[in-house]
Amino acid sequence: MSGLPLHRRAGFRLSFRYLLAALLVIVFCFPVYWLFIISFKTPDEIFAFPPVWYPASLQFGNYWVLFKDGDAGTVWNSLVLASVSTFFAMILGTVAAYSLVRFKTGGENLAVWIISQRMMPPVAIVFPLFLLYVYFGWVDTYFGLIILYTAFSLPYVIWMMRGYIEDIPLELEESALIDGCSRWEVLWKVVLPMARSGLFATAVFTFIFAWNDFLFALVLTRTEVTTYTVQVTHYFGGQSNFWAKIAAMSVLGTIPVFITVAIMQRYLVRGISMGAVKG
Amino acid sequence: MSDLKISNLHKHYGGFHAVKGIDLDVPSGEFTVLVGPSGCGKSTLLRCIAGLEETSQGTIEIGGRDVTYARPRDRDIAMVFQNYALYPYLSVKENIAFGLRARKFAEAEIEKRVSRAAEMLAIGHLLQRFPRELSGGQRQRVAIGRAIVRDAILYLFDEPLSNLDAQLRDDMRVEIKRLHNELGRTMIYVTHDQIEAMTLADRIVLLRDGLIEQQGAPLDLFERPKTRFVAGFLGSPKMNFVDATATRTGVKLADGTTLDLPGQKGLKAGAAVVLGLRPQFITVAGKTVAKGHARVPAVIELLQPTGSRVQATLPLGGASIVAELAAHDVSKPGEKIHIDLDLTRAVVMDPQSGQVI
Amino acid sequence: MTATVHPDRNFKYWLVAPAIFLLLLIGLFPLIYSLIVSFMRIDMMDTDTSFAWFYNYKTLFKDSRLWWSLAHTLLITAVALPIELLLGLAMAYLFLEKMPGRQVFISLLVLPTIISPIVAGATWRLLFDNRYGPINQILGWFAGEPVNALWTINPTLVYPAIIFCEVWQWTPFMFLILLAALSNVDKSQTEAAEIDGARFIRTFRYIVLPAIWPVMAIAILIRGLDLFRIFDIVWALTQGGPGTKTETISIYAYVQGFKQFETSYTAAIAFLVVFILTVVCVWAIRRMGLVK
Repeated sequence: MSGLPLHRRAGFRLSFRYLLAALLVIVFCFPVYWLFIISFKTPDEIFAFPPVWYPASLQFGNYWVLFKDGDAGTVWNSLVLASVSTFFAMILGTVAAYSLVRFKTGGENLAVWIISQRMMPPVAIVFPLFLLYVYFGWVDTYFGLIILYTAFSLPYVIWMMRGYIEDIPLELEESALIDGCSRWEVLWKVVLPMARSGLFATAVFTFIFAWNDFLFALVLTRTEVTTYTVQVTHYFGGQSNFWAKIAAMSVLGTIPVFITVAIMQRYLVRGISMGAVKG
Repeated sequence: MSDLKISNLHKHYGGFHAVKGIDLDVPSGEFTVLVGPSGCGKSTLLRCIAGLEETSQGTIEIGGRDVTYARPRDRDIAMVFQNYALYPYLSVKENIAFGLRARKFAEAEIEKRVSRAAEMLAIGHLLQRFPRELSGGQRQRVAIGRAIVRDAILYLFDEPLSNLDAQLRDDMRVEIKRLHNELGRTMIYVTHDQIEAMTLADRIVLLRDGLIEQQGAPLDLFERPKTRFVAGFLGSPKMNFVDATATRTGVKLADGTTLDLPGQKGLKAGAAVVLGLRPQFITVAGKTVAKGHARVPAVIELLQPTGSRVQATLPLGGASIVAELAAHDVSKPGEKIHIDLDLTRAVVMDPQSGQVI
Repeated sequence: MTATVHPDRNFKYWLVAPAIFLLLLIGLFPLIYSLIVSFMRIDMMDTDTSFAWFYNYKTLFKDSRLWWSLAHTLLITAVALPIELLLGLAMAYLFLEKMPGRQVFISLLVLPTIISPIVAGATWRLLFDNRYGPINQILGWFAGEPVNALWTINPTLVYPAIIFCEVWQWTPFMFLILLAALSNVDKSQTEAAEIDGARFIRTFRYIVLPAIWPVMAIAILIRGLDLFRIFDIVWALTQGGPGTKTETISIYAYVQGFKQFETSYTAAIAFLVVFILTVVCVWAIRRMGLVK
């Protein structure tokens, strides 16, 4: 071995780990930094050669333009679609998961069928869905995208909530039944409070899925409920001064997720590992 | 009037027949203990009474009303669960009040009942705490409190003490007995622990393989078991069983010792039988042999002192038996003594059917 | 008035009914619809609904653009997935032991994963810009001369660009899952192995890997499926270009359906994708021992 005293070696090891950690943070965070920084640059700074690593001052002009043109409203659309669909997916998915866990409804087959829906590639159903939506007049409506996102999140919600509900002691529910609760009241007064942390973690991921969707929104929206992801791509390939718009729009669309994740952080790590472990 | 009447109750789980036709009548105010080894169907029976399991066949009446197809909440029952079933997100007070709130009691009434229950169980100082801040014994008190705030016809207990340590279990047993005396309610209590059954019950219902093996007052079952199973299940240390051959007036053991059994009729001479003798009914020989007792010599193999008593393992008629003796009557293994067997309380069983003859 | 049926019998069905209805409407119905349409010959010009049976499926086999798109998809998957896995594992090991500020590092490293893929693609598009982007600039420092790589245009550079972006976004996901899995490995076992003198590789192979495998297998499966249907990142970076050089199977299906309006043919492609995914999934689930 190196012959150094043990504590010195431990010290080197820790410094080495910090060095690596710092390097990783730089590599993984630099693109995010760059995106943010471009959104605050003036056109001159954006198209400077060599690139400007940090702007002289923070310019909000790029954002101002987005609000003035109404493009920022697409973030609102995304917010409505993602929140409302998350709300419904959580309700429908949780009660369905409860039924699967407590009453073994449909046996293993139903559970497997529901979970297999999660493997479904969007591109395989988006086209027939488009025709269906045209037929019902659901294209470019909140309603259409909300039920789509709700349905698409359901397998995930059911999958996750199944694990959390399995952990609730049956006795708590039985005790409530005897104490005078109806089946629905048991769900409301016992199961939901007991699965609280699971509900939060699952809701955050469900929200992010809907928030990040691009393909469905690209196909099924026109102008009324355009999401911010689609709006970002509208600036592609256009004039070069669209760079600022791409960056500012992306930042606007990213901030709500950052805030959500920051608030819900303690539920998330458990959520990720649970989902994987409980498979 | 009987508060609970069960007729011909069956319960199937898929191919498994857990309860195989049980009839039971529990009079008002009685403390009934359902006892038996695990898998005997006692918990299933209790859950059927509570409505937590659907019955496969038969009827259940509570308070004179047919509730076979009623929801648990419509059965007028309260239940205490093995793992306490306390809601971790509610305070002790709200846990106790849960059933009252679910049944839409007025706030003042809830307040009154919760504080009375808390007082009875000496948990008044814990009301604002949460379950995670309580010890096992305290949790169990809260769980009982949650049941007794309700005015139910029937109070069900599903092995409520099995998660407590030995000392606490003894205390809580006393507590439950006291509560029953104070409240005078009809209680049905499931346990696998025969000591709990003996100490608590007005009546013991001993189950085996989904059927009632024997029911009656604890002492009745202890002294007059109908089968070898009952004889072996109740009592600690266990009853001794010695293979023997019947004679006209008693039994002959394998080593040739003959024992006259007073009052024992109907023995068929020459038939193989099993003699059952409780360790408590064996004593070290005194000055005289009491009436109906038999005196035999024995060599002590092993001693297990329990304080005032000592459990001695000794050979008898080719078998090894346990006697519970006074601690100072014997000193060490290898000691040669004489013992008196109280044959008036001995039982003789058929080795095949296990029926007491 | 005595009931003769156990109450709440149908409660459990009421609970699952809405979920199943939605899944049938959004999941199964379009699939069946596409199956039927895939046997017809509907396109932009022709709304002929007579059955052509396997005509579209036969065309699939002769469609070299389709098979190239499949190859592109597999190429991205085959390169990105192992990198994400190994890098994620290494990072998980780096942060396995406690160190001050560990939580802050982890939070920062997870940032790329919560950004939407379309924004990730857009971001890298800006980073990769040959003149105003910082990547060429940084490469120039190392090369000692100005670098003018056309990342999203040059056919030899476009795949590294896509894979770079993909790896950047999803390695943190692997990292988080594997970190959770590694933290759950029984420490006494690895320590016992170390005391016995086992080397790191050996300990990993025989103690750690079996313990984290169930989690790792699912992570691989999830990422593999996502990579197979990759659309957003590639769309944002290259839109399948230059030409059709980076067209993935999802992009190709999209183009056929929404740019060329080959209704029936798109349905047939969709079915091919579903078929491949099902086969791969069933194989993977069996092979990885996820189902006993």
